[in-house]
Amino acid sequence: MTDREFACTVNGTKVARRDVPDDERLLDTLRWRLGRKGTKEGCRTGDCGACTVLVGGRPTLACLTLSHEVAGESVVTVEGLHDDPVGRRVQEAFERESALQCGYCTPGFLVALTGAIKSHPHGAGERALLEAIGGNLCRCTGYVAIRRAVASLGTSRP
Amino acid sequence: MSFSLATPATPDEAFEFLAQDPEATAILAGGTDLLLDLEEGLVRPRTVVSLRRLPWREIRWNGPRLTIGSLAPLADLEADAGLRRRLPSLAKAIHAVGSLALRHRATLGGNLGRASPASDLIPLLLVLDARLSLVRRGDRRELRLDEFIVGSRRTALAAGELIESVTIPAPLPSEYLWQRVRLANDISQVGVAVARGTTTSAWRIALGGVTPRSVRLPSAEKLLGPGLPAPLAMELAAQEAAQRAPFTTDKRATEAYRRRLVYVLVKRAVAAVAASADALPETPSPSRTAKKSVPAKARSTSAR
Repeated sequence: MTDREFACTVNGTKVARRDVPDDERLLDTLRWRLGRKGTKEGCRTGDCGACTVLVGGRPTLACLTLSHEVAGESVVTVEGLHDDPVGRRVQEAFERESALQCGYCTPGFLVALTGAIKSHPHGAGERALLEAIGGNLCRCTGYVAIRRAVASLGTSRP
Repeated sequence: MSFSLATPATPDEAFEFLAQDPEATAILAGGTDLLLDLEEGLVRPRTVVSLRRLPWREIRWNGPRLTIGSLAPLADLEADAGLRRRLPSLAKAIHAVGSLALRHRATLGGNLGRASPASDLIPLLLVLDARLSLVRRGDRRELRLDEFIVGSRRTALAAGELIESVTIPAPLPSEYLWQRVRLANDISQVGVAVARGTTTSAWRIALGGVTPRSVRLPSAEKLLGPGLPAPLAMELAAQEAAQRAPFTTDKRATEAYRRRLVYVLVKRAVAAVAASADALPETPSPSRTAKKSVPAKARSTSAR
């Protein structure tokens, strides 16, 4: 353990703390130290996608990331999506198609889709978007509505 | 789990950290595998050295020779237009790993360094004759992948050493096929890699999901002969591969199911490579002639 500083930006806001242990995962720092509880813990083994956040724009599993590894980088959680036109578009598609049941997996889906659209400057087709959420599980099995939401995004440009 | 994390910014800094307490130091690349072991207490290092800030991410072609930095995220490799065009089998094998979010973190060096017997990348890199460039302070050596992987999750990496890059001498007509229960975030029950050398025309077959490590199958390779194989040769090679593979039963599949899979996948993979090799200009002409004499027989076999 060290008392090194943990500094990064979360949803555009600078964060600096000295109480983040070396072995802590980004998921726990976000939820329990920074109060960003939109990011969910599902399996904690990288199998469910519920904890997906963007690190430097890349969809990243916060349960398989040590907090100090992302020092100096930009982290976007589901709470930050409404500040982003692409994130808003994805949220609206899920709302329009009622693509959620209990809602626990939804933040992971929204973040993964937002990251995928933003990483395809020439537009992401439906196939690429479904690919991007291949690692996200919905235990309510609400996949039909989720697919409908993805289809309604069409060929999505950032 | 309780460890201190080192985040060196240069290779020299990393070597320094690695030298301090080599017995109790774990190397963290993408973390998609190591962090699971740390969480479960299967490994209990005092220090974890993260390689996230090191360079070693480039994809470089030098003529036919492809060199990939060990820390390139798998997602970048599968998205690379040159790699997809010139070595589609590798893009496909990479695509088989985990999920996209996982591949944004997972690295080629991490996959090889963790040496899982179920790796989707090791079988293909074996048939492509991949070499690893290993670096230590003031020291560098090259190892063939089959020398590097010495057992289940065991490698020839020395204390204080890191994988800098992976080199493939030339893109070969090749294919990687796998079987698993779930498409994403699952581990292959069996992986089959097949390649055909363009100058030697020799076939290469390697399997994943075997115990204790991925292996080539020389006896099955020989049955395919030097040129494009006739249907009977493919059948015999697939049978030989299914019989010889060192499979066991585990939670993912029974031994019998794995043998059946290998039989089917070897045939499919060889057929796919034979079809693509036929279209390549480098293919020696004798094999093209051989292929021309085959179709009648091929039709009768597939009709059966």
